[in-house]
Amino acid sequence: MGDCQSLGDCDDSRIARIYEYLDGALSRADLADIKAHLDGCPDCSHEYDLECVIRSVVKRSCKEAAPENLKAAILARIHESRPAEV
Amino acid sequence: MDVATETTEERRARFERDAMQYVDQLYSAAMRMARNPSDAEDLVQEAYTKAFSAFHQYKPGTNLKAWLYRILTNTYINLYRKRQREPLQSSSDVIEDWQLARAESHTSSGLRSAEAVALDHLPDSDVKSALQAIPEEFRLAVYFADVEGFAYKEISDIMNTPIGTVMSRLHRGRKMLRDMLADYAAERGFAKADSQGASGRTEGKK
Repeated sequence: MGDCQSLGDCDDSRIARIYEYLDGALSRADLADIKAHLDGCPDCSHEYDLECVIRSVVKRSCKEAAPENLKAAILARIHESRPAEV
Repeated sequence: MDVATETTEERRARFERDAMQYVDQLYSAAMRMARNPSDAEDLVQEAYTKAFSAFHQYKPGTNLKAWLYRILTNTYINLYRKRQREPLQSSSDVIEDWQLARAESHTSSGLRSAEAVALDHLPDSDVKSALQAIPEEFRLAVYFADVEGFAYKEISDIMNTPIGTVMSRLHRGRKMLRDMLADYAAERGFAKADSQGASGRTEGKK
């Protein structure tokens, strides 16, 4: 994995960079570096693809609709309680 | 709008208008915290009640969703501790050995593209079980980042932990999640697709 040195000197830091990239937590300069690297490195772009798939799968699976009565129950409780005074 | 001079009715209207739109999202998050729908409902209801009574402390213009998530998380921790008289499921630095080993032995070559396809086809129930199997603080960090798209700083506020801790929880949590998902995919027979995908490498060894 010699050509992945620009992202870090071990697997762990390389993956960390990919996470940060996906999390929108990289500086502009780092962003350009990692984009260029992903274009030229099948291993890292595979890693990137997998992480994207996992995120979309998790997002999809965790979408729940609150039970119908929950909103009404919350509103009822809010209407009987007084907010604390400032 | 002046928070200090608004009437109770005005505040209530503002709360309903701005905060109630997040009920489904908070309920989804509560389902990752509590073990069942009825506890999740209680949790969301309790969090909203607290949020309303503290609404004068919310600074308009700041991130309301993150503020609500913070209250939800605190409510969960308090309720959970009251009910169980125990600390959170595990403390951040103590994970069971097998989990650590699995998280760290994973390398980039461990999953093939065929498996990316397999992961994409996993039923929701598998994905939820996989998430549920991850120690709580890792699970919640991953959930806040990957599902809700909160930034590290926001997660650090929600979970009341330093940003460095958030980043390491995310890093480890995501690796655990990936390994769990790979296991589920294998159990569902996607391992065959995986070995076919890797057959080129096997032949190369001959």
